[in-house]
Amino acid sequence: MLSKRITRVSEWIIERFIQIAGILGIVLVLVIFFFLLRNALPMFHERTIAEVLTGTRWSPTHGEGHFGMAPLILGSLYVTAGALALSIPLGLATAIFIAEIAPRRVREILKPMVEMLAAIPSVVFGFIGMTIVGPWIAANFDAIQVGQFAALGSLMLCFMALPTIVSICEDAFHNVPREIFNSSLALGATRWQTIRGAVIPAARSGVIAAFLLGLGRAIGETMTVLMVTGNAQVMPEGLEGFIRPVRTMTATIAAEMGETPHGSLHFHSLFTIGLILFVITFSVNTIADIIIRRSEKDIA
Amino acid sequence: MKKHPLTIGLLAVTCMVAAVALAGCPPQEQQAVNDFSIDHEPMPTDADDGTIEIIGSTTLLPISTVWAETYHAANPHVQLNVSGGGSGNGIKAVIDNTTDIGQSSRPITSNEIDLARANNVEAIEHIVGHDGIAPIVHPDNPVVSLSVEQLSDIYAGEVTLWSEVGVPGMSNDRIVVFARDSASGTYESWKELIIQMDGTDKDRDYSPASLKKGSNRDVRQSVADTPSGIGYIGLGYIDDSISTVAVSPAGGRDPVEATVENVRNGSFPASRAMYYYTNGEPTGIVAGFIEWALGSEGQALVAEQGFVPLQ
Repeated sequence: MLSKRITRVSEWIIERFIQIAGILGIVLVLVIFFFLLRNALPMFHERTIAEVLTGTRWSPTHGEGHFGMAPLILGSLYVTAGALALSIPLGLATAIFIAEIAPRRVREILKPMVEMLAAIPSVVFGFIGMTIVGPWIAANFDAIQVGQFAALGSLMLCFMALPTIVSICEDAFHNVPREIFNSSLALGATRWQTIRGAVIPAARSGVIAAFLLGLGRAIGETMTVLMVTGNAQVMPEGLEGFIRPVRTMTATIAAEMGETPHGSLHFHSLFTIGLILFVITFSVNTIADIIIRRSEKDIA
Repeated sequence: MKKHPLTIGLLAVTCMVAAVALAGCPPQEQQAVNDFSIDHEPMPTDADDGTIEIIGSTTLLPISTVWAETYHAANPHVQLNVSGGGSGNGIKAVIDNTTDIGQSSRPITSNEIDLARANNVEAIEHIVGHDGIAPIVHPDNPVVSLSVEQLSDIYAGEVTLWSEVGVPGMSNDRIVVFARDSASGTYESWKELIIQMDGTDKDRDYSPASLKKGSNRDVRQSVADTPSGIGYIGLGYIDDSISTVAVSPAGGRDPVEATVENVRNGSFPASRAMYYYTNGEPTGIVAGFIEWALGSEGQALVAEQGFVPLQ
């Protein structure tokens, strides 16, 4: 019975290995959070939280340093909101087409193609936006004076969030039982009425989760926005803010971390930005996760 | 094992709250910017132990850093510790005799020379290179020259239209201002020399609306793509894709072209010499290092960093 014992031992090892790998994920998140917090907190020995979060002037190397993060937070929100406004309708339409309308052969080509978008490095999107799309838009639209602005970041991020949104939406539509689809058709509804009235509502949790994960993808993106949004830490105002340069939280960290003296207030302020980003993406992903699990339960 | 996702979420949140409580203690203060040795002992006052301490201006940081890396690679027995802190700190360290070399982007003041003498220190000045920054515009922009005051107003956001600085007929009148990001020494140089008009208005700062770019090349590319744009780059980066603007020094004098010659003789306003200060004539490894830095190999690295070399 030696072989049986070996099997049992190797199974035990594999089980433990998988268990440790799983725990490691949780430990890593906690360690990163702890690290961010440890480096961010000294900021608040010298500045109040309200001052940092609502201050409108970010000029960390001028005089005593001005650490108002409102323009950066708003910048991130503008770029992300724009990206979602573009990628949600586009992603939803693509997912509906792939899941419900496209013939099987088209679907088998289209889905991997859309997912391939995720494999393109973000710096490539940034490069295309900075050297081709931005200058072209600035040259052809009088209202846009410089080819580096918030909505250009949104446009580039839209393509980067699309694979996430399409893939998860398509899965959600795919998981809707055929009975629902067929019953709706049997009641005399057209195909479009069925998709709109039966399939989308049945898959709504998955669709919402897809939007949230797309949001998480967009708000954390760094390289592309650093290259195409202009990096001007102004408070964006109204709709005009979309066609003016902005600066996001991620771009600020990337642009300023390199030469910031360790242990300075500026250094800690950049970790504070990192902490804010972490909290935002963690919350968004947690909510998305809860919604996905609920949708699985709904359908089961 | 089926657990409610909410329970897991709550667990994670609880752990994070615990982490917040634990993180209350601030991290250890770290001062050094660039370390080329693991030596964290108090700074030596002489270089006998094979370590050269360089401290001071952040403008000179990129040059000193690349010098230190290159020199250490060729002379492994010499360690170099380079750190920032500003020109004032660099000169103060020379006066207090706590560094081998103080780097500064301004000359020592008479007050500082007196302080040094009182401390029995004779500060010897070495000009190690020049820093020249040229304002640039799109080739279609008809502007030929701007005064320091006008450039200061543009960069501080006091003036936002080309017509306000005497450049009529631009297809887009609003000025798009490009600057370097705050990590760059050029950012600080431009701020002190132009925006603060050589330090006469210390409260002036970059307008938040200025677009911050990561490199000289980025600024040049952006200005070349933006007809109503203005930017600034190191003299080494000037090419045909943009045009440079002559600068009239403060006080309404004649405009000076941004040329290497005008930077070297100090007449171009956005220029300054970069200094190393030592206590007395350098000896031993410090003398060897400075001699190498001022020679052709060291000066080639100065040009590579976008500054103006001595010869």
